[in-house]
Amino acid sequence: MDITAHTIQSLLDGYQKKEFKPSEVAAAYLAQIKKTNGKLNAFLQTREEETLEAAKKLDAKMSEADSLPLFGIPVGVKDNFLVKGWQCTAGSKVLEGYRSPYTATSVEKLENAGAFVIGKLNCDEFAMGSSNENSAYGPVRNPWDLERVPGGSSGGSSAAVAASLCPASLGTDTGGSIRQPASLCGIVGIKPSYGRVSRYGVVAYASSLDQVGPFGKTVWDASRVLEAMAGNDPMDSTCSKSSVPSYTKTMESFSLSGVKIGVARSWLEGVDPEVKKSFEESLKLMEKQGAKLKDIELPHAKYSLSTYYLIAPSECSSNLARYDGVHYGYRSKETRNMDELYSKSRGEGIGKEVKLRIMLGTYALSSGYYDAYYMKANQVRRLIQQDFEKAFADCQCIASPTSPTTAFKLGEKTDDPLTMYLSDIFTLPVNLAGVGGISVPSGLDSKGLPIGLQLMGKAFDEPTLLSIAYQYEKLRGAFPLPKGLN
Amino acid sequence: MLNKEEVLKIARLARLNLSENEVSVYQKHLTRVLDYITELSKVETPKEAFVRHIPGDATGLREDSVKVFSQTEALLDNAPLKEGQSFLLPTVLEQE
Repeated sequence: MDITAHTIQSLLDGYQKKEFKPSEVAAAYLAQIKKTNGKLNAFLQTREEETLEAAKKLDAKMSEADSLPLFGIPVGVKDNFLVKGWQCTAGSKVLEGYRSPYTATSVEKLENAGAFVIGKLNCDEFAMGSSNENSAYGPVRNPWDLERVPGGSSGGSSAAVAASLCPASLGTDTGGSIRQPASLCGIVGIKPSYGRVSRYGVVAYASSLDQVGPFGKTVWDASRVLEAMAGNDPMDSTCSKSSVPSYTKTMESFSLSGVKIGVARSWLEGVDPEVKKSFEESLKLMEKQGAKLKDIELPHAKYSLSTYYLIAPSECSSNLARYDGVHYGYRSKETRNMDELYSKSRGEGIGKEVKLRIMLGTYALSSGYYDAYYMKANQVRRLIQQDFEKAFADCQCIASPTSPTTAFKLGEKTDDPLTMYLSDIFTLPVNLAGVGGISVPSGLDSKGLPIGLQLMGKAFDEPTLLSIAYQYEKLRGAFPLPKGLN
Repeated sequence: MLNKEEVLKIARLARLNLSENEVSVYQKHLTRVLDYITELSKVETPKEAFVRHIPGDATGLREDSVKVFSQTEALLDNAPLKEGQSFLLPTVLEQE
């Protein structure tokens, strides 16, 4: 078996049986990246020497493999995480050449669990986008069809796993940036509950919504990565102190029998018919195993887009004020005074969509508009949270499609910001409510493009959410990988 | 639609230097998004804006301990322009 065809689960099994060593696994993935990345533009940086060195250190620890939950697992990291010594651009020209002075807690925890970094992955600039076309380093292409987008903003993270350039990757999800690309690339992506994973060392976009999460080929793989990096971190004051149970241990014995799954029917208008069909089939599969479908209402979910596009830009206008050309990052060459240094550095360094969101936020927070925009959005956000609280009082999870369509063509939605924003209508409310969500592949459309099922769970009830997803995945059966890349 | 002056005012507040072309693009795009967003004014909302987004058990008191940060050089290495241990900048106060 080709090493890069493995899942995390089968790699761990292979290490146990001493079929291969971490350095051989590292070399196999690095070779695959060399061969395929030119077509995908998923990786922005690899450091062969450093990666092989880290893997060789693990070679010497083969006897301890049992005690390390991610022993010898190569992980791709979205380029908005700091990894000491590696470049971190966040997909922006502003941060071109920026060297990370320390490592993000999430990455450090994975390294402590035996994993090693295989490379940094392309993304929409500052994680703002739904197609990965906003990267200053060029778009990522979808391994299922190179003319189509992989989704965004973690498009590199999803394309790389789908194309078997790494068995797992990290992304960030502020409004759908893990689940939507996972759906469009036919893999699994988890947005954990807000506060489950530390964000120390991750480039901030909208702090009340940002959350770190994993991508994998299977629910088990992604859950294994999540359980290794979740948990308290004194360096992130929004990170919960509650203990992290082992998700992978309990999912196998979990039964769907009697599990109540909420479905908000009114939410499904405007969904692509093939996506809807796959969604209904997924529900039927779970129903057959004893799950009970329950009609629910999320009356304010329809306002998620407006709410999100006030709150996220407001927070981003504040968070991104730090890119001023003073301490690090891009500085304009010709500036006569400080005011010019700020405006020219930002004007030249920051890309189109990010500027739009900074200005939206600046406007929403400006004197005279604050109450009508930012305050109002927070009030509606509370109502959306309450909708979810009510729904979860009577069901263990809520199901929806992850994205209303399958992967669209490059350039198809770049002219109108709203058209692009609409591809996140099912994922946005999850971030606003602070609950957990996962996207699991549910089928292929007539063009052969993957469709995703989104399952949403109560805040901090990842054990139930991931178990339901795992059981669904088992019912669905094996899912294909994209063909024709090699 | 937002006029040119309004876009330039927002850009100035955000410290973003825009080209002529950008100003007209953002006139269109800002207006498009802001028009859509006005739907929120129709939503009946309670007065308090309290949004609980941080888990209750995240915050708390801890020992106020000093940790030495030893990455000064690494931080300075990322400076666009530096002199010794300082960031180099243009004059703040201009001469008359």
